[in-house]
Amino acid sequence: MIRRLVTGITFSLVAALPALAIEGAREVFPAPGPQAGRLVIHGATDLETMRPLILDFQQVATGVTVEFVDYVTNDLYRQAEKACAGEAESGDILLSSAVDQLVRLANDGCAQPHRSAETLTVADWANWRDEVFGFTFEPVVFVYDKRAVPVEDVPKSHEDLADLLRLKPTVYSGRIGTYDIEASGVGYLLAFYDARHAPTAYGRLIEGLSRIDTVTRCCNSEVLGEIASGRVRLAYNVLGSYAYRAASENPDLGIVVPNDYALVLSRGAMIPKDAEHPQIGKEFMNYLLSPRGREVARQKAFFFDDGKPLPPGVEGPEALMESGVGRPIRIGPALLAAQDESQRSSFIANWKHLVSGE
Amino acid sequence: MALLLGLGAAALITAAWFYARTAADEAYDRLLLGAAFQMSENLTVQDGVIKFDLPASAFELLGLADSDRIFYRVVTPDGKTLTGYNDLDTGVDLTAHQSQPVIGNSTYRGVDLRHVTVSRVLTQKSGVVWAHVIVAQTLESRRALAAELTTRATILVAIMCLLALAGSAIAVRYSLHPVDRLGRVLARREPQDLTPLDLDVPRELTPFVDSINRFITRLSERMTLMQRYIADSAHQIRTPLTALNAQVSLIDDEKLAPADRRHMERVRRRASELSRFTNQLLNHAMVIHRFDSVQLAPVKLNDVARKAFRAAVPMTVDPDLVVSFEASPEELMVTGDELSLREAIVNIIDNALRHGAKGRLDVKVGRDGDNGFVEVSDDGPGIPPEEWGNVVKRFYSSRSEDQVSGLGFAIAAEVALALNGRIGFREKTEERPFAIHIALPLIEGGQA
Amino acid sequence: MRIFLVEDTHDVGEAICRRFQQAGHTVDWETDGQAASDILSFTEYDLVVLDVMLPGRDGFSILKKMRQSGSGVPVLILTARSEIDDRVGALDLGADDYLVKPFDFRELEARARVLLRRRAGGEATNLITCGDVVLDLSNRSVTVGRREVQLKRREMALLEILASRPGKVFSKEELLDRLFGFDEEVGENAVELYVGRLRKKLEGATARIVTQRGIGYQLVADGA
Repeated sequence: MIRRLVTGITFSLVAALPALAIEGAREVFPAPGPQAGRLVIHGATDLETMRPLILDFQQVATGVTVEFVDYVTNDLYRQAEKACAGEAESGDILLSSAVDQLVRLANDGCAQPHRSAETLTVADWANWRDEVFGFTFEPVVFVYDKRAVPVEDVPKSHEDLADLLRLKPTVYSGRIGTYDIEASGVGYLLAFYDARHAPTAYGRLIEGLSRIDTVTRCCNSEVLGEIASGRVRLAYNVLGSYAYRAASENPDLGIVVPNDYALVLSRGAMIPKDAEHPQIGKEFMNYLLSPRGREVARQKAFFFDDGKPLPPGVEGPEALMESGVGRPIRIGPALLAAQDESQRSSFIANWKHLVSGE
Repeated sequence: MALLLGLGAAALITAAWFYARTAADEAYDRLLLGAAFQMSENLTVQDGVIKFDLPASAFELLGLADSDRIFYRVVTPDGKTLTGYNDLDTGVDLTAHQSQPVIGNSTYRGVDLRHVTVSRVLTQKSGVVWAHVIVAQTLESRRALAAELTTRATILVAIMCLLALAGSAIAVRYSLHPVDRLGRVLARREPQDLTPLDLDVPRELTPFVDSINRFITRLSERMTLMQRYIADSAHQIRTPLTALNAQVSLIDDEKLAPADRRHMERVRRRASELSRFTNQLLNHAMVIHRFDSVQLAPVKLNDVARKAFRAAVPMTVDPDLVVSFEASPEELMVTGDELSLREAIVNIIDNALRHGAKGRLDVKVGRDGDNGFVEVSDDGPGIPPEEWGNVVKRFYSSRSEDQVSGLGFAIAAEVALALNGRIGFREKTEERPFAIHIALPLIEGGQA
Repeated sequence: MRIFLVEDTHDVGEAICRRFQQAGHTVDWETDGQAASDILSFTEYDLVVLDVMLPGRDGFSILKKMRQSGSGVPVLILTARSEIDDRVGALDLGADDYLVKPFDFRELEARARVLLRRRAGGEATNLITCGDVVLDLSNRSVTVGRREVQLKRREMALLEILASRPGKVFSKEELLDRLFGFDEEVGENAVELYVGRLRKKLEGATARIVTQRGIGYQLVADGA
């Protein structure tokens, strides 16, 4: 089941592209200067989030026309697999929050390495083989509706959340939202890591969720939309960046970085081996990893950054990484375990069985 | 040396490369095996169905080789791929049970792999079956590790080579130092010095020095024998020669026929020549022998020269010849052997008397800077400069057939050389007569 | 004069004897060292000519004994030994002169003559000076300035006569008498010959032999 994300984005389909049946929104950012090149981004990342980065990149590379094609993570993966096998057109750079999928692609030989002054600044845990780079720093947070969740109920940790579900199942039944991990690659990844990092807490949480009617959605934005609409009071495993953007538009949303542990996802970027314009892809990669790109990301796109304090209004531990609370999802071969088909299917089956009662 | 080091270094580096490859393989094979075992542990049978729970820790283990790609495949007893890369084939027979993990190399998707196959025995209703776990890893980390180890070994080898070169250069220099010293000692040696070397040398050089000493001793003995032979021969000649002279002197020329008288005169002259030559031969042997045995001592040059003058000028010298001796006003001291030195001067004067002086012969002792000299000048024709180098050779005949200078100058020159002095000649000019001198360094302070 | 010869080589001894006898000397010849030593202990000679290598007793030993017993007889050593050290030894032991075999017999005669004369003339130290010419009568040497000039016996005698009275003119006849005596027959021009030689040997001196034509010769110091 593929649910297509359709947001209010201008369609700018130049031609009918039947092969790309799974692609989502596509937007072209014409070069501000005389066009000298074209960059095709395949992104499993909100276009709105990427927009300021793309625009700022074009300030640097004025001759580059950027074409952004939006996918859900799983679609992006499938598209890339096909491209790798030569069955589909390849993007010049892939951006995805489901870094396990990018790692799998790289492991399967679908990436080309890239080394530059900028890639050298990337933390060890966010670089695999110089092929997959993490270019963001996104703690995974709880988001709650300030209007509906009393202060004493606001969970500060995963334990708190499990307790809340155990103590007040009736109050929160149908009011807790999270990813549908079958539909969302990143949802699956986060759940998988929850299970690995804190098996006990995860078990209790799943047990709690199994008792109530949990709302699952394909994507962050939908989950957040449910909170805004008042249907869902609390959402867990929301990427901090989306949460913060939503909260900045809706003051009723509260954000908590759990203080027992907080997964930190670094959104991945990869140059496919068959990229048509790999040089421009690499240029864009350098931009994302550069201090300028990071600064724009911190202010307009992802709001969190490694080594910087949490953005205002976010509850949580002060120094995320230093305190040991932040658990970065290491971009590396261990992610292949998450990508294993049998693993994935049994994990999802188990999860659905418990959470959705299917 | 450098070639040897180079070959040695090449061998070492090659060995280091093999070793590094083996070490890297061993290290990473353990990761591979560990991961494979972990994975095979997670194969279970639930309700007759084979279940597999892929442990992330296995990948974390493999992830220690952080730049390598990982491929794996879990194969059920019926040959089906449970999970993983179903086209991953390592050539291992998956229909049989492997009691030991099989490790090997293969190529998959165009890249070189190191793979391990582990069998896991499972119990099903149908009986005992086995499943296989294949884990493979690219070789980048191994190669990087091997390269790094080899590089380090190479650097070490290079450093060792440099140290060895420097060390052996120093060692060679150091160990050759005694040889240098030995060489210098030999070079400094006086030609007449045939005493054994008395020199502290390392044990390794002792046979060498002993050989030299044996040679010197043999040479010395040989020379002593030869000198003794000459001396003895000369001595044996002396007595009959004296008798010959005596008999000749008794012949009354007046009673001889004119022709016989002429023959008699020749006999006399030849007998006298023979006498003189015998003396020279004897004295030469004596002088050489003395420098081997006699300790040099300060000598008063005036005294020696005066004695030589008296000895050299016979009573029977031509009365028309003006012969004079002029001593130095200051006392001049030289290091020498009085007898040898006197003999040297005697021979110079003797030569001047016989071959040079027509009307005048002057002997003068004087000082020239740091040297004292005895100069013998005569009003004869002198010796032309081109002959100066030759007349000091033994038995060199400078002038006509019968005027053999014999050993006279040779004795003088050898004595001068032995005493660090020299024989010098002065060309005849309008103003000054021809002169020969023997010059010797004065003892520090010059005068006594 | 009486000369004692100790020499074991027969024909050499014979020749020496003959030469000395021809010169008018009396020669006693002994071939055995011990016998010679014994003879010397009770017989006085004017000159002893001594060979070193002797049967019975060697020459050095004989010489040593002579000197120890206080004999001042001039001794001339003849040596055939292969080292000149002998000469030194001989002189140290009190020999007056030596000759190394083989020697020139005229030289032997000349040296013997000197030794005999010295014995006859005594040992008086006497210096005669005229200008820068110094005549040492004791060792019969003549110095001109710093140069020691070798003079023959007659030249020495001539100089001695002239220098004894510098400035005095000696007639040719007087000089002839004093130089040769009456028994020797010499030519008229013998004096002129010796004067000529002496003049040559005094060349460069500040004293000269001046010829007073028709009268004779005188020794004159420059500036005197």
